Parts: sequence; C-alpha cells; structure tokens
Amino acid sequence: MQKTNWIKIFFIVLLSALTLFIPFDSFGVHINPIEQRVIALFVLAALSWIFEPFPIWSTSVLVIVLMIFTVSDKAPAMLLLDDGGSKFGNLLSYKALMATFADPTIMLFLGGFFLAAAATKFQLDFNLARVLLRPFGKKPHFVLLGLMLVTAIFSMFMSNTATAAMMLAILAPVLAIFDKEDKGRIAFALAIPIGANIGGIGTPIGTPPNAIVVKALAEMHVPISFAKWMFFAVPCMLVMIVIAWFILLKLFPISKKSMELKIENRFLKTPSAFIVYITFATTVILWMLGDVLGLDSNTIAMIPIAVFSITRVISKDDLNKMSWDVLWLVAGGFALGLGIQKTGLASHLLEAIPFASWPSLMVLVGASFIGVFMSTFMSNTASASLLAPIIAALGVSMGAGIDSLGGVQGLLIAVALSCSLAMSLPISTPPNALAYSTGFVRTKDMAKMGVLVGIVGLLIVFAMMSFLGNIGYFSKSKDVLQVSPVVTEENVKEGIKDLAAPTPLIQIIEVEKKEKTLEIRLEVPLDMPADEVLKIPVNADSKSLDSESITEPKIDAEPEKTEAVPEVAPAKPAPAKAPEAAPASPAPAKAPEAAPAKPAPAKAPEVAPAKPAPAN
Amino acid sequence: MKNINIICVDDQSEVLDSVIRDLRSLEDFFRIEGTESSEDCLSLIDEIDSRGEQVGLVISDHVMPGTSGVELLKTIFNDSRFSNTKKILLTGQANHADTIKAINEAGIHSYFEKPWNAEELLNTVKSLLTQYILKTGIDHTEYMPVLDQAVLLEYLRKNA
Repeated sequence: MQKTNWIKIFFIVLLSALTLFIPFDSFGVHINPIEQRVIALFVLAALSWIFEPFPIWSTSVLVIVLMIFTVSDKAPAMLLLDDGGSKFGNLLSYKALMATFADPTIMLFLGGFFLAAAATKFQLDFNLARVLLRPFGKKPHFVLLGLMLVTAIFSMFMSNTATAAMMLAILAPVLAIFDKEDKGRIAFALAIPIGANIGGIGTPIGTPPNAIVVKALAEMHVPISFAKWMFFAVPCMLVMIVIAWFILLKLFPISKKSMELKIENRFLKTPSAFIVYITFATTVILWMLGDVLGLDSNTIAMIPIAVFSITRVISKDDLNKMSWDVLWLVAGGFALGLGIQKTGLASHLLEAIPFASWPSLMVLVGASFIGVFMSTFMSNTASASLLAPIIAALGVSMGAGIDSLGGVQGLLIAVALSCSLAMSLPISTPPNALAYSTGFVRTKDMAKMGVLVGIVGLLIVFAMMSFLGNIGYFSKSKDVLQVSPVVTEENVKEGIKDLAAPTPLIQIIEVEKKEKTLEIRLEVPLDMPADEVLKIPVNADSKSLDSESITEPKIDAEPEKTEAVPEVAPAKPAPAKAPEAAPASPAPAKAPEAAPAKPAPAKAPEVAPAKPAPAN
Repeated sequence: MKNINIICVDDQSEVLDSVIRDLRSLEDFFRIEGTESSEDCLSLIDEIDSRGEQVGLVISDHVMPGTSGVELLKTIFNDSRFSNTKKILLTGQANHADTIKAINEAGIHSYFEKPWNAEELLNTVKSLLTQYILKTGIDHTEYMPVLDQAVLLEYLRKNA
C-alpha cells in the first residue's frame, strides 16, 4: 500500500476513534455506549467511502466485521464490561449482521446478476439492442433518442456500467467517423451514461442504491414490490430521458445528416440460448405480475439462479466472475442501517432534534439534494447507505406530516433516485468515466449536462412523490385496538412507541370512548403481522387498573370496506403489567411477510379471516 | 502508481531508444525499462518481482549476443511468477523455425517485423497491457486514459 493511503487510514481511524469520546450527554443527546460505537463506525464508513484508502466494498466488509466485534451479542466480553443492562445499550444480533450477506434483497440482486450474465453470454444484449434500435431509423437525432431509451431499458436489468460499456462498444466505431467539428459527437457520447444512470432507477435491481432503500422499507414493515416500484419509477425514467434528449440536442446540435449503427450479431438458436430467452422473459413477467399472483419479488429472483445453474447456462467460472463486490458493498450498507435502527440510536437522536416540526417539503428537497451532492463525489451506493438509515428515522419521526409527499416511503425512494441523478463529473459514476475515456467529451460538457439533468430529474422526482402522496399510493391499513377505558390513550401511545421503536410506524388515528371499552383506531403497515400489533405493551399503572375492567382488552374487528382488520379473541392480561394483549392461541413465529397486495390472511395465522387488504 | 513495468530488450542501443520513444505516451502510467541483453533482462525482472512490482510486458529482439530473444521469452513463459506477462517479439532476423518456437514454446502474444509501424506497436502494447490489467485484477480505473477502449468495454459488458 502507498504512503498516502496509510496517512488516510491513520486520520480516518483517528477521527472515528475520537467520536467515541464526544460527550453527547452534554449536548442534551442521551445515547448509550453501544450507540456511541455505532456512531463511530458510521463515521469510519463515511470517511473511508469518501477518501477511499481501500476499495469501497472493503469498507463494507470492515464495517460488518467491526460491528460484530463491538456491538453484537458475540462481541468479546471485555468490550461489554458494563452491567449489560439497558443503560449500556441494545446489542445487535450477530446472526442478523452476518445475514446481511445473504439478505433477500441481496438475493434479488443476485437473480438480476444471473439474468445479466446469461444475457451477455448469449449475446441477447446486442441482439435486443439491434432490434430495439431499428425503429429509430437513420436520422441522427432519433438514433440519439433510441440509444438513450435502449440504454435506459437495459440498465433497468443490467448494471449501469455493463450497459454503458456495451452501448459504447456499439457506438464507438460510428463516432470515430463523425466529423471532428460536429458537436453531435459529444451528444452521443453523453447520451450513453445519461441513459445508463437514469435507467438504473427503473427497477429495484436497476442500481444498488435502490436495494438499500428497498431493504430499509422492508425492515420498517412497508415493503415495496418490484411492480409497485416500476409503476412510478419507469414513467419518471422515461420523462427524464426525453427531457435529457431535448437538452442534449439543444446544447450539442448534430450536423451529420444520416448515420447507421452496425450491430452484426444474430439471435443464437441453440437450446441453451432458448433457455436464456424464456427464463429471462418469465422472470421479468413474474416480477411485474408478482403482486397479482401473490409472489414475492425476492423469491422470483431465485428462479433464474436455479434454472441457469442446473442447465449450465451459468458455469462455475461465470458464477465466480459475478460482481460479488457489489453485493458485499450493499451488505455493508444494510449492516449500517441495522446498527442505526436496531440499537435505538435513530430514535434517541431524533428525540434530540425536532424534525417532526420541519416542513415536509423542505425535508424531501434537502435530503434529495444531499443525495445528489454526495453521490456526485462518491459511490452512489455508499451515499445511499449513509443517507438511508438517517432519512428513514427522520421520515418516521415526522409521522403523518409527510404523508402528502408519500410518507417515509416517498422520502426514502426520493433519496435512492437522487443518488442515481448525480452525473456531472467523470468520477460521479463508472458510466461517466467510460464515456469520458472515449475522448469525445470534455469535463466541462459533462458538468453542464450533468447539472441540468440532475436538476430536472429532481424536479420530476419531487412532482412524482407529491402526486403519489396525494393519491395515497403508499397507504397503510387500519387496525382497531379495543381496550378497556381505564387504559388511556397515553398508555397505548407509550406502548406503541415501545413496540415499534425505533420505527414507530403504527399511528393512532382515532380514539373513541364506548360504554365499556375504548376503541383506538390504528394505522399499521400492511405487512405487520397481527400478533405483533397485539403485543403492544400498554404501560398502564397497574395500581389504577381494576382487574374487572381490563379483562377485555382486545383488538377488535372493525369491518371497513377496504381495510385489513385482524380479529382476535381477547387475551388474558398479565396481572402485574397492564393489558399486554398477547394472542390467545400459541403465538406463531412472526407471520410470513406478505406482499402488500396479497390478501391479508397471511398476516397472522391465528386471527380470524380478515378482509383483503386494499389492492391499491 | 507505476507498479507495472514494460521491458524492452535490444542489443542495438539506437533501436532500443527508438522502441522506448514510441512508447513514451505510456510513461505516466507504466515504468518503461530498457536492457541490452537477455541476461540483463532476466536479472531485471527478477529484481522487479522482488520489489513487489509487476512485469506487464516484455518486448524483445531475437538475435542478440548471448541468449537469444526467443530463448529469453521462453524462460519468462515458463516462470510461474510471470505467467500473466505479455510478450512481443520484435525482430527482422528470425527464421521460420525461430518463429514457430516463439509461438509454440514461448507463447508470444504478438510478432512485429523490423522496421515496425510506431502507431501499430503502440496500439498493440496498449491492448496487451489492458488485457494484463484486467486479467490480474489490478484496479483498471487508475489506467483509464491509456487503456484499449474496445478491450475494456467488452470486459465490462461481461463483468460489471
């Protein structure tokens, strides 16, 4: 390793170690030792990702390993000398940390990798490009639009870098015969990275920042399916492409009158090739129809993995050559998110800062601009990894205040998209670097174009989130908790906070006093298992509770037209602690996570049939 | 940076200078060394390897006093430390048998006949070094300006 690297490492370690000694208590932020360690690790990750003393994926590995050794339940005893009580902090499960390497969202990406590897191996990418580009003819400005659209479409399923490399390979011979004075060369060379970067936002597997956010949402019991993502992201992507095309034509007018892209390949007709075509098409169709068929996107991603493995479409060699570094990079981001959420750090920090009172539009705009800014200079994935856990906690703390902008989902998705909109420098993204290395583009041109596309893109994202918020695209279901009147609303609020900390996504929307009971209408995430809702510990003062009056705490069915309402038999309250509404029948392990549009029964086996969840 | 070495071998110093001059545009990214005999070359690559640096490419003449170029390249080919090293034979005097031996036993990657075309040589060198960098897993982003575009794009299409 070089000397400058050692200096970087020294300062990074020094600065992150110093964070361990910041007296947060004196600033009025009360955090425990474990949480302070998580802050130090966060600083370590951020600095290593910015200054890159080693490859960015190595930082991820380092973060996971350090977390296991310092804040997990398998940390060496000497590091956990404290009483181990609540004051010391919540330890993370080491299994959960290790499991980030094979998280369902990682498997979703791996499925994408298998599809992309098979497609390139069997020339499907070149062949599709040839077919898709044909309708755009020979007029250069239409060819330009075609190239951008095709690049974007490929980039939805292949890595942005691989797509840009493939399209530049097609384009390079044509650009070489362009007139040297023709500004169109710049337009064409820039069109590829713009298409590749913007195309990444189209699907959850389009680019790793999407994975970070998809995972964060799943952790908060508000998962987003493949189709649900595409439904808003693809229109966003198409509008951005068309506007970027206009800007390119305006800034870099093409003088050439006619051009032809030569793609010589032919569709392979071997049995293996057909396996690739069929599996590719089936997987993509299943991803889009998953919600309707009641299939989970992550599970569907396992199909190409199995099919290509047993048919030897993907050999052992191909498997070894996959971009495992990308998956490990993402895993590190997941681990950071886990650390910030599960130790309770997020909720403690938010108690100290009054985010809830901030205007929601300001938070959305601010978070997105930070996303673009960070990822202009550092890896998009790293930026998303650092931002997502903070923004998630922030969004949750804002509660219903941000619903008009799509709630916490809208906020997080905007962050993911903004990380893909940074493309003003050659170092911003690998596709930019590739386009720059063709020699047809100057940094100045790229910066001008990148800033314009970034701003336009952000405006489109804001408009989309505001639209989705208003139509209630990311809506939640409503459950009704019926408890005895001596249990006050405050008790339940406390209970919800305890249960859902650090992500209190359950909200009380209405309280109604009845003769014998208090009905509390709750808004809960669609996939939250009913038994978890039932576990809301109602911290009432036991003395004030008359055992007679608390015998009937229950979550009652309140049939409402479109809402999922689990119905449960009343549970016997624990005498000492107030009505802990535990399910009457043996509590199953957490009910399987249901896809949002799936009928509600999957929520919790022991509850009586509930109404199907809104299909929205 | 500059951990990858290019070594040119020719007993005529003016020819050697001319080869090095043709490659001058790569100087910012690679260390370019010249030696006037096979023996010097072998001890040089030995030293480079013990410094922890890489031998990316050897360009050798054939007819030289002492060990011939083909013998030199064959020795390098059979040395496991240099199994990824790219090899170019640059000669005007190799006969048929020498050439066959160079291909079969020394695994040369390219053959140039003197006098050579400077641009062609430079392009071949770039292409071979790009392959070397991608094959050995060295971070290619540091070498972007001098890499062979077509080789890089094809690699990234399949591996990114």
